[in-house]
Amino acid sequence: MLGVLHPLPKLIVCLVWIVTAITLFDLRFQLFTIGLAATLLIVLERRSVIFVIGLMVPFTLFGAGFLTTSLLFRQDTDFALKLSAEQIFARPEVSAGLVLFFRAIACGMVSALFALTTDPGQLVRALMIHARLPATVGFALLQALNLVPDLAREAQQIRLARAMMQGRRPRRIPGPVEGASLIVPLLAFAIRRAGRAALAMEARGLKAGAPRSHLNQPQAGWADLLFASCAAGLLAGGICFARIF
Amino acid sequence: MTEPVAAWREVAVRYHFARMNAVGPISLTVGKGERVLLLGPSGCGKSTLLQSLTGVIPQTIPATISGQITIFGEPVAARQPADWAVAVGQLFQDADQTLCGFRVEDEIAYGMENRCVPAADIAAAVRDAMARVELPPSWRSRRIATLSGGEKQLVALAAVMAQPAPLIVADEPTANLAPAVAARLAAFLLEPRSEGGALIVDHRSGRILQLIDRIVVLDPEGQILAEGNPDDVFHAHGDRMEALGIWTPLASRLVRKLARAGIGLPHCLTIHELCRALDSHGHRAKAARVLECTFQPRALSLATPVVRLCRVDCAPLFGPVVLRDVSLQMNRGEVLGILGANGAGKTTLSQCLAGLVRPARGMRDGPLGAIAFQNPEAHFTQATVLAEVQKAGTAAGKDLAHLADWGLEEQADQHPFTLSYGQKRRLALAILTATDRWPVLVLDEPTSGLDQRGADTIARHIARLAQAGRAIAVVTHDMDFAFTVCDRVVVLAEGGAVSSGPARTVLRDEATITRAGLALPTVSPLLDWLEHKGC
Repeated sequence: MLGVLHPLPKLIVCLVWIVTAITLFDLRFQLFTIGLAATLLIVLERRSVIFVIGLMVPFTLFGAGFLTTSLLFRQDTDFALKLSAEQIFARPEVSAGLVLFFRAIACGMVSALFALTTDPGQLVRALMIHARLPATVGFALLQALNLVPDLAREAQQIRLARAMMQGRRPRRIPGPVEGASLIVPLLAFAIRRAGRAALAMEARGLKAGAPRSHLNQPQAGWADLLFASCAAGLLAGGICFARIF
Repeated sequence: MTEPVAAWREVAVRYHFARMNAVGPISLTVGKGERVLLLGPSGCGKSTLLQSLTGVIPQTIPATISGQITIFGEPVAARQPADWAVAVGQLFQDADQTLCGFRVEDEIAYGMENRCVPAADIAAAVRDAMARVELPPSWRSRRIATLSGGEKQLVALAAVMAQPAPLIVADEPTANLAPAVAARLAAFLLEPRSEGGALIVDHRSGRILQLIDRIVVLDPEGQILAEGNPDDVFHAHGDRMEALGIWTPLASRLVRKLARAGIGLPHCLTIHELCRALDSHGHRAKAARVLECTFQPRALSLATPVVRLCRVDCAPLFGPVVLRDVSLQMNRGEVLGILGANGAGKTTLSQCLAGLVRPARGMRDGPLGAIAFQNPEAHFTQATVLAEVQKAGTAAGKDLAHLADWGLEEQADQHPFTLSYGQKRRLALAILTATDRWPVLVLDEPTSGLDQRGADTIARHIARLAQAGRAIAVVTHDMDFAFTVCDRVVVLAEGGAVSSGPARTVLRDEATITRAGLALPTVSPLLDWLEHKGC
């Protein structure tokens, strides 16, 4: 449902929310952000609870770094934690490490919400049309996005070829040694692929600075206004809640 | 003489650090309204010539270029390569080299967007191009990355057709397409353009020959060997072209073969013409005997199964099931053809047959096999060609002989990635046949992008390997190649195997072949003639 929104207002809302989550050093605001992002994904985007919990795992691991550092190396991190605690809106009664932990998850979840509800092609296109992103850079970004599945397919084929030479089936998930050995061939593939893409774009008339039209121009509408208003209201409510209670 | 829309005058191209010219010096023109077919062996510089037309060589790909190239009378160097997109629609050999967008409709719209065409006009042109290429409307928002190689080629063709450039330049435009689609799209590319023209490079051009006005044949050194209308060129230079490994029409080859057997026939370009010529010839029975010997199926010994698939559902690794309830077997010493339209599941079935991917359901019985992938580069891990075959396990002292067997002895010290496409294919097969460890070999599109000599070499090796007792499966769109090398075929369509049996029978079953989006082999009418009238 959030996928129909114009990517740029959504991007701005998410960026503002992340900046607020970083600035507002308050545990309840971080929990509110996580809860809100998870609810939107589950209710509006019909993602399963398991999926949303799984999504939090990498951010939790990242945040756990802050938490364990603050607990195990209190003396070493004292200065950094003090600095964090002295930020505006900070609540000294809650462990700074805990706030940092949930802040990492909150920021990650907002980013994930944006990434899961935005077509990257539409985002790049919107940036080219409205944010003056040069077309050469925009299409290079699109090619980079295209490269990811191509790399996955290439990696798959290389793994099949290698497994074949070893007389076995490939493992479903490559081990660390196998993964590391794929880096060089995949890098070589990416370089070759980028060269071909550059030729293709030039042959089809892409030129730096030349005016272009766009077939699918993302259009901002009432839904975007409603989304931005709701987000502003929720953000203001979250800040007030954190400050007053 | 018509006014040229594109002209190369005494043009020679030499890549930096190369000792010889990649092509030329050569003079070549494409006249207004003319459709020109460029033929030549692999590595003779056809692609270089096409890329020099809009200045991609030398402006983007560094090279030294001499002579003059013009488009509609204007020197190519006067504009940037991107500026020529207005006049020239280019279709490269590798679809990834033509595709720039993210989704199918973005891709088709891309060239028009760069020309600042209004969005409403672009939308109409995209709809029109998709309809002409018969891409379903549901594909509009499909991501390019989810398409198969052949499907990408279709989208690339639609993109070029949507861009109304008067001059079309295409390098192997139909190499990865199923025959029925390939013929239809070649016809689109070669439709008359009164103010423009078309220059097509194609290694096996039987189905488009009647649409061609002029043929230009390059020799291995990149010089013009012959030029003129198709009939004259194949008639006058067919022998020489055949000796150089350049494609000539089957009918033309057969006329020459009959001539060598003392049966003189007028020159023919199509098998139908050949049948008519045979009908009116006095030594019909003698001709039939010669032709029957040519198309004699290989004698097979008793079938010994090596691999059995029993009611399997096949799915690629991490992918959904694409083929259901397939049962087939591969026999020792037999060549099995796996045929089907683009996206029919041929590659998935081949991975299952080789045992590299477990069936999602059903049972596979037999030893693990090897696949020669569509992209041969996936096989390479070493720094030199010689090291590749040594790593594959060739016996000491026999590595160079094994390379010579595949015509790669001169490239022994080269890095595998610097080889030509045909050489890479042969190296991949040399690696897989270096030892006897794989009783089952699956070759995925082994002739794609190869010239006639390359295809003949692969066919010869397939026959040799089968003779040595290997079970071989060949995944291909090339019906003539399938007819030449396969003993048995399985046809995939509608999510399963719709037919299987002896190649001679199934490949001539018009209903099945049409249902699968394929086309009858070129030789079919002649086989009918041999059966009904030959003797």
